[in-house]
Amino acid sequence: MTAIIATSVLVLVFFAMLALPLTPACRELLHKTDHEPLKVVQQHAGDVRFFADGFRHYLAPIHANLDESDVYGSDTLIVMPDGIPCLVLAKTAASHDFGIDRENACTKMIASLGDLELPAGVTFERDIYARQHLRGGAGNRYRALLGESGVHLAEESVVMRWVHAVGELECATQCRLYGRVSSERSIRFHAGCRFTRVHAPLILTGRSNTNEAAGPGQEVPENTATEIVDRVLQEGDLAIAPGEVFTKHLVVRGELRIGAGARMLGNVKAQKTAFLEPGVIAHGSLISATALKIGPDCRLRGPVIAEHTISIQPGTHVGSSQAPTTVSAPNIDIAEGVVVCGTLWARDQGRVMERA
Amino acid sequence: MIYCLYFIVALICVYTARHYWFTLNRLFGFQRHPYIDVDTADWPPVTILVAAHNEEKVIANILSALMTVRYPADRMIVIPVNDRSQDRTREIIDEFVERFPGRIRPFHRTAGKGGKAAALKDAMELVETEIILIFDADYIPGMGLIRQLTAPFFDPEVGGVMGRVVPLNSGGNLLTRLLDLERSGGYQVDQQARMNLRLVPQHGGTVAGVRRSALHEIGGWNDASLTEDTDLTYRLLLHGWKTVYQNRSECYEEVPETWAVRIKQIMRWAKGHNQAMVTYALRLLFGKHSATLRERLDGALLLGVYIMAPVTLVGWMLALAVFYRGIAPLHGIIALLSLTAYAAIGNLAAFFEIAAAVRLDGNRNRIALLPFLILGFTVSIFSVSRAAVAQTIDALTGAEFHWDKTERFRKASS
Repeated sequence: MTAIIATSVLVLVFFAMLALPLTPACRELLHKTDHEPLKVVQQHAGDVRFFADGFRHYLAPIHANLDESDVYGSDTLIVMPDGIPCLVLAKTAASHDFGIDRENACTKMIASLGDLELPAGVTFERDIYARQHLRGGAGNRYRALLGESGVHLAEESVVMRWVHAVGELECATQCRLYGRVSSERSIRFHAGCRFTRVHAPLILTGRSNTNEAAGPGQEVPENTATEIVDRVLQEGDLAIAPGEVFTKHLVVRGELRIGAGARMLGNVKAQKTAFLEPGVIAHGSLISATALKIGPDCRLRGPVIAEHTISIQPGTHVGSSQAPTTVSAPNIDIAEGVVVCGTLWARDQGRVMERA
Repeated sequence: MIYCLYFIVALICVYTARHYWFTLNRLFGFQRHPYIDVDTADWPPVTILVAAHNEEKVIANILSALMTVRYPADRMIVIPVNDRSQDRTREIIDEFVERFPGRIRPFHRTAGKGGKAAALKDAMELVETEIILIFDADYIPGMGLIRQLTAPFFDPEVGGVMGRVVPLNSGGNLLTRLLDLERSGGYQVDQQARMNLRLVPQHGGTVAGVRRSALHEIGGWNDASLTEDTDLTYRLLLHGWKTVYQNRSECYEEVPETWAVRIKQIMRWAKGHNQAMVTYALRLLFGKHSATLRERLDGALLLGVYIMAPVTLVGWMLALAVFYRGIAPLHGIIALLSLTAYAAIGNLAAFFEIAAAVRLDGNRNRIALLPFLILGFTVSIFSVSRAAVAQTIDALTGAEFHWDKTERFRKASS
């Protein structure tokens, strides 16, 4: 009798233990609470203007209000369909009341019809839209900004999510830009600015004017890399002599040093640090599995990629208006006086270093 | 006998440790995505090969998707490789050629050796670009995918690129849900960990790319291989080319919805993989080439994944034999451990890997299905073992390999 009970208990325990993990499994199988395919981004193609376009779309229902405010010449507070208060600033109003609270915060979204000048030292907790030029005050903190013309961020401004300018975007010294920064014309960063993802046809650092920096006489390297199929695989370190013309793709499994004025016609990869001395011209990509140290006055067609750090010295041009490119690394340090055409993408942090 | 058993247990321990290493790296290590941020570039010309054999149900979907991708239209040519199809595949492809003049160059293959590698080999006559991307016909690329798969080729060390495969019909039935979990573990953890650790990410032959000069250097497509992708991975490695994995270059695929199709599929993979193991394992481990020590070891372990199924079965049989013959070192504990080691620890490692992958994907409730994976593993272990036995018999009798196409389940688009 005891044996029968013991066996029955054992069998019961066995089935109970078997059923224990299978119960939630069967429940999930029957009820299908999490069976959808993993969301793969099919349509969004990584366009840097994605948020700006989304914000324009969000504002579309209130365009009538914007025009009405313009007619009456007074600021209006409206409520967006999702309940967010939006301060519509008329173009002709003599002054604006931003409703800044005691903690120097503006909790309303702002949509401006004319030029917009924002007071200094304020935290703007909602997105800001300007149909014309937008000029921010020093030390402001923004969530997101969209300027249909130029945008000027004063020194020590902080943008948490994104800023997009249809015209020129200028970031004064010590700005911190955590999200996407883009312009359809040009972006200029001054010393001490920090960034992550930046896109514009022309990105300039420092005070030098555009013409001087882009330099009408400056050479844009031709795309010869696409035509080249031969490559040199070098185990260990390699130094390219100054002035040498290297006509193949190059893979160096050690450290690479490219001498001053050398010309690399193919794509270049180094497993360790790659050093570019002054005046190097690279017609193809430049890639390092660690760091890239790019000397002054180099001309790089790009892309320029490093898995740790890229540092770029003054006078260097990356990409061109005809062939924009990408500079990508977790950390990017750019000196004042550098020109990049296309995308700068620092996954951890990008910095504009003051010229010594 | 006992030493043989010790060896098998040691092998299982190595694979178990490898599972844990990969998973922990994926959870806590530095994640390498060096090329994914290349957003703007002077994009090179690319050719996209779409392998199609009786694909009337799916071919229109992929061609439509490819015609809308974000890549300069004048630098991208699509070559549907219509391999001896007997359904409406040819007709559908020709309709697209008319609708998109100059963008699709069809390759209708009416005769020749069977198999994807043989078809791709013949299609190479039409390829003029240095960069070649490859898709199977049941895949649906997103708008940014072509750029993402092309970007790594700016690196002259890269010979092959592999994207991530995501099951579209994951919610179909128990099998598709299990395959969804397995794919998640395989790509989100296994492949990305290999990329992180600079090991040997595997070329999958679809949602993938290869450099033409590299392919030429290694002797082109191997039409004698049942898994041209595994074969390609190792030949590239032996010739100093890297294969990179792009975890964020995701593309939908269709997974088998019936066990019969799944068994056929995994048996073909096992045979092809074992074929590569026999061909390349020794050369990889001891040959004179530029692969690093870690690439040699990981590559060899990767080659051995399918042979581990029959090895494990042999281990179980040996453990039983040892026990009943009264050979009982450490009072039978070794025999007992041998029997339970794989089930208790080996499987747990795989479960841990898949659970981590599902979590990294941001999913939650589907982790509850993990206990059912025992079913999938059991089917796999016996199917793969059966494939190994059949392959050995084929090798002894000189029989030729037969290439089985995986059946599609999607309804044809109108």
